[in-house]
Amino acid sequence: MTRQDENSSSVESGTGETPRSPSALVHMLDLKLTVVILIICGIFYYLTTQFEEVSPLLTQNIPPEWFPRLLLWSIVVLSVSLPFEHRFIKGGKERLDSDRLHRIPSMVLITIGLLSVVVASVYVVGTFFAMIFVCAALPLLWGERRWKILVPYAIIFPLIIAFIFTQVLRVYFQPGLYGISF
Amino acid sequence: MEPLLNGLSLIFLDPFNIMLIFIGVLVGVVIGALPGLSSPMAVALLLPFTIGLEPIPAIAMLASLYCAGTFGGSITAILINAPGAPPAVATAFDGYPMAKRGEAGRALGMAAVSSVCGGVFSLVIFLLATPLLAKIANQFQPADYFALAVFALSMLASISGKSSTRNLISGLAGVLIGTIGIHLTTGVERFTFGVADLTDGVHFVPVLIGLFAMGELLTQSTAANVVLERITSVVVRLPSRADLKKVRMTILRSCGIGTFIGILPAEGSTIAAIMGYNEAKRFSKNKEEFGKGAIEGIAGPEAANNAAAGGAMVPTLALGIPGSGTTAIILAALIMHGLRPGPHLMNETPHFIYAIFGAMMLANIMFLGIGLAGAKFFARITMIPRTILWPSVFVFSLIGAYAGSSSLFDVWVMLIAGLIGFVMLRHGFGPAPFVMGLILGKLIEESLSQSMIIFDNNWLMFFERPFAVGFFALTILGLFWGQFMRGLGYLRSKIGKTPLDRGD
Repeated sequence: MTRQDENSSSVESGTGETPRSPSALVHMLDLKLTVVILIICGIFYYLTTQFEEVSPLLTQNIPPEWFPRLLLWSIVVLSVSLPFEHRFIKGGKERLDSDRLHRIPSMVLITIGLLSVVVASVYVVGTFFAMIFVCAALPLLWGERRWKILVPYAIIFPLIIAFIFTQVLRVYFQPGLYGISF
Repeated sequence: MEPLLNGLSLIFLDPFNIMLIFIGVLVGVVIGALPGLSSPMAVALLLPFTIGLEPIPAIAMLASLYCAGTFGGSITAILINAPGAPPAVATAFDGYPMAKRGEAGRALGMAAVSSVCGGVFSLVIFLLATPLLAKIANQFQPADYFALAVFALSMLASISGKSSTRNLISGLAGVLIGTIGIHLTTGVERFTFGVADLTDGVHFVPVLIGLFAMGELLTQSTAANVVLERITSVVVRLPSRADLKKVRMTILRSCGIGTFIGILPAEGSTIAAIMGYNEAKRFSKNKEEFGKGAIEGIAGPEAANNAAAGGAMVPTLALGIPGSGTTAIILAALIMHGLRPGPHLMNETPHFIYAIFGAMMLANIMFLGIGLAGAKFFARITMIPRTILWPSVFVFSLIGAYAGSSSLFDVWVMLIAGLIGFVMLRHGFGPAPFVMGLILGKLIEESLSQSMIIFDNNWLMFFERPFAVGFFALTILGLFWGQFMRGLGYLRSKIGKTPLDRGD
């Protein structure tokens, strides 16, 4: 429903009060959110039906699926109220929507992609080089072009961290395919 | 008396522990001062560094960081109007106007002194209340623990964030994630998807780091080039006698408010600071000065937020129920170091509790010195470009998630938790209730299952336990108090309107 539609549906009634439009009753974004939550709950519920069966003697009337199902039902009951919640909470729709008015910026998605590549690269290049990679790539991605800061940072910072963790705290670093574990 | 002396000697007579507390304080003030980096994130990121330490120095360091981080937030709140941590939000209201008119040093000095007063006051209460609370908790049965854990979750849900319904869902989701792994009673695998790394359950640390650090990193990626206006000419000075005389009652009031709010299982420091500010304003003779640079507007929230930090440790150690988001992580650290938080801790290792008390007391004294002497330096720390700061946070997150069990699986968990945290925050679901749910999940399931077995599956028998009934009543009150008051206000307004008012 467009804004114009909303306005046209809010025609003054005979009593002088403005009736609430259908869009004001249900928050569409929260309705979608509820559907997503219900689907996730449905999947989890299905998974509880796949748990191994155990003798009642062992379970003492509390089978392993009992508690997760109780939680899932509680989440379902609470989720159903989400599309109507803006009618009851202080600040209403504006408050609920304050952080999600705009689409997720593409930079966030690119950053997630880069971080996933960094974590995946640990298997190949090892932890140390993955740290160097992220210390160089993430600032560059975010617009850092001061090479005099960036280059020393990308080398010295991972060296310090690797020294503290491997030499002082004795944490084993993944060597990667090249076998360099620092 | 002997456990108290033992505990204190473990801290004050061991130079290594003093050094660790100093490091904790230094890191806490620095991280607290950096906008975007909060206490929970700092404690989560420092957790992996404590792996090789004994439990006492490890928890002492984290507790010191917690105290100092709460104070550190006030530095940037005053100097750049960007609270380094949420509890310092109220400090910025009057701190920044003072800094702008050239009184940054006076404001910082007042913040430091008020914080120490709040911290020390709450630690005295901590010393008295923890054994008492643990004594009461000794009488708790599984049903009471279940009711208490539900109360803790509901308090966090109702106080923090945008909506209590969303926070409750978040908390329940945390409890659900806590059920992943082998069911202890029957040995059945639950939600493991055949992944061997999940049979032990989802580790706390990667989830904590992901939710608090990665979620914030993704948020910051959209504002990497924001430049903040800074007040750089700072000469910190201790409050004058006249200032102290003016704010002494405000500090005392805020100490009480902060400690009380901190002891309640909820999001302590931030709420306490806002209440401290409001009460300072309410009792002030110069209400019109508030928001323009009133000295009481700094003393009130600062004393309250640090008092809440000490107060929040009481239920964490005495009951095993976190008093705030940060203490939830400290609770996870206690479990990670093989300790059993709750009344057993007081019964079996009372010196541990007193050692933490000693560490926090020392931390309060240290951050007064560090905060006053180093405020100029900490103000400069905020000049670290975000394009350098946040990649460093990612490196710490990567290593922190990995170091606990040397498993890359945990790094993926951290990354996924960060992504989920980002989406959750966007839609108004708080990460703190999720963490609380994850940490309390095992306690909730075990105590509920045990109760149901004891009660022979009769739910009504929960209401035969006075403690449980009390906690359930508090839960309902906490969740519906706001709606009840709004409903009452609505009814009053309806009844109060005469037919003439309504235009009939």
